[in-house]
Amino acid sequence: MTKMNNLLEIRDLHARIGDKEILKGINLDIAPGEIHAVMGPNGAGKSTLSAVLTGRPDYEVTSGAILFAGRNLLEMSPEERSWAGLFLSFQYPIEIPGVSITAFMKAAMAARRKAAGLPELKTGEFMKLLKEKMAFVQMNPDFAKRDVNAGFSGGEKKRNEIFQMAMLEPVLSILDETDSGLDVDALKIVADGVNALRTPEKSTIIITHYHKLLEYVRPHKVHVLKAGRIVADGGYELIDAIESRGFDQF
Amino acid sequence: MEKHVVKAGQTLVLEYFILPGESRDIEVEVELAGPGAALELRGLYLCSSTEKVSIRTLVRHSVPFCRSSQLIKGIAGGKADVSFDGLIVVAPGADGTEALQENHNIVLTDTANVRTKPQLEIYADDVKCSHGATVGRLGDEELFYMRSRGIPEADARELQILSFLAPVIPSGRREELEEAVRKTVNGSRQDSL
Repeated sequence: MTKMNNLLEIRDLHARIGDKEILKGINLDIAPGEIHAVMGPNGAGKSTLSAVLTGRPDYEVTSGAILFAGRNLLEMSPEERSWAGLFLSFQYPIEIPGVSITAFMKAAMAARRKAAGLPELKTGEFMKLLKEKMAFVQMNPDFAKRDVNAGFSGGEKKRNEIFQMAMLEPVLSILDETDSGLDVDALKIVADGVNALRTPEKSTIIITHYHKLLEYVRPHKVHVLKAGRIVADGGYELIDAIESRGFDQF
Repeated sequence: MEKHVVKAGQTLVLEYFILPGESRDIEVEVELAGPGAALELRGLYLCSSTEKVSIRTLVRHSVPFCRSSQLIKGIAGGKADVSFDGLIVVAPGADGTEALQENHNIVLTDTANVRTKPQLEIYADDVKCSHGATVGRLGDEELFYMRSRGIPEADARELQILSFLAPVIPSGRREELEEAVRKTVNGSRQDSL
């Protein structure tokens, strides 16, 4: 019965890039409204997990299954996953010189609404929404005209990710090392954004090897990923254990 | 063969805008003949079938303190054949010269052919010259980033191409180019099916 209620179910997931197997049997259930932290040392497979969830073409799933809102996620294209409500905040957001944030978001919103059978937003409505969401993440409105991530600082790039998340209103957000390279002020803005976007239906996966963001966005469940497997599950106490004794204890 | 002489203090702007279906053979020589003369050359080509585009430029820096900038960017799809030959000659004594020459290409198909040959001949001592040429494919990282935001693959490729060409789009021609890019992307998708 509970199975039906999970937003995300990962079963015995194995994945590789090239000849190298990186995920070696991941199991994970995420219920609506939950925040999960996935922690682990470098090279544990954290970014591979987010890559596989979002459908990066260069990663191959060799066995296992992923159900997202009852659908077979592995059969969906990256854009279909987005339309279904999946969002990844990239660890290294990509620069797209020549494409403004406005043009980029307009294309994304139009495609999403089309997929949902909705008419495209009128330009006025779209610009109003864009401005609201930029204000919400405390982004300078001048950024609307700037090219996507081109010449942005690390903090500006991460803020742009959270802005996009606010625009697209995903059901499941994956924050991949969103806290890395952020100063405390930027971290608070990101955390406030994530907290303010929460609803009882929406879930979040925070991938990190660092506890800082988790102080602002408290996870319901914590998982430790190591060498391609989840080696420990628990609550906030796991974060304290990692803080004091590192990942070697697992 | 097009020939221009630019006098002291003047700036010559040359723009080439070549859309699908158009074959062109451009041969242009520009002499910067007086101090402070400048050249701004921008070129854009978008080829999607069997076009032949050849661009040859010769820029002569004959006197000191002239500036030239050549930026030529294009897309080659289908069985298009594109070539760029650029030569900058900096005459003896033409000190304080600034010359830049860039030709960048994206090929959409294995059957398209691009040759690019930027060259410098410098006979003066105090000059700032740079040249560069690339032939590449559309980047997978950008494509995936856009698709992960729900932008379908074909639309993402259009945006990518427009973004690559942005620095050389003549003012007022953006819409025309967008339409041509849309057709080119759809065409190259059908070819690969």
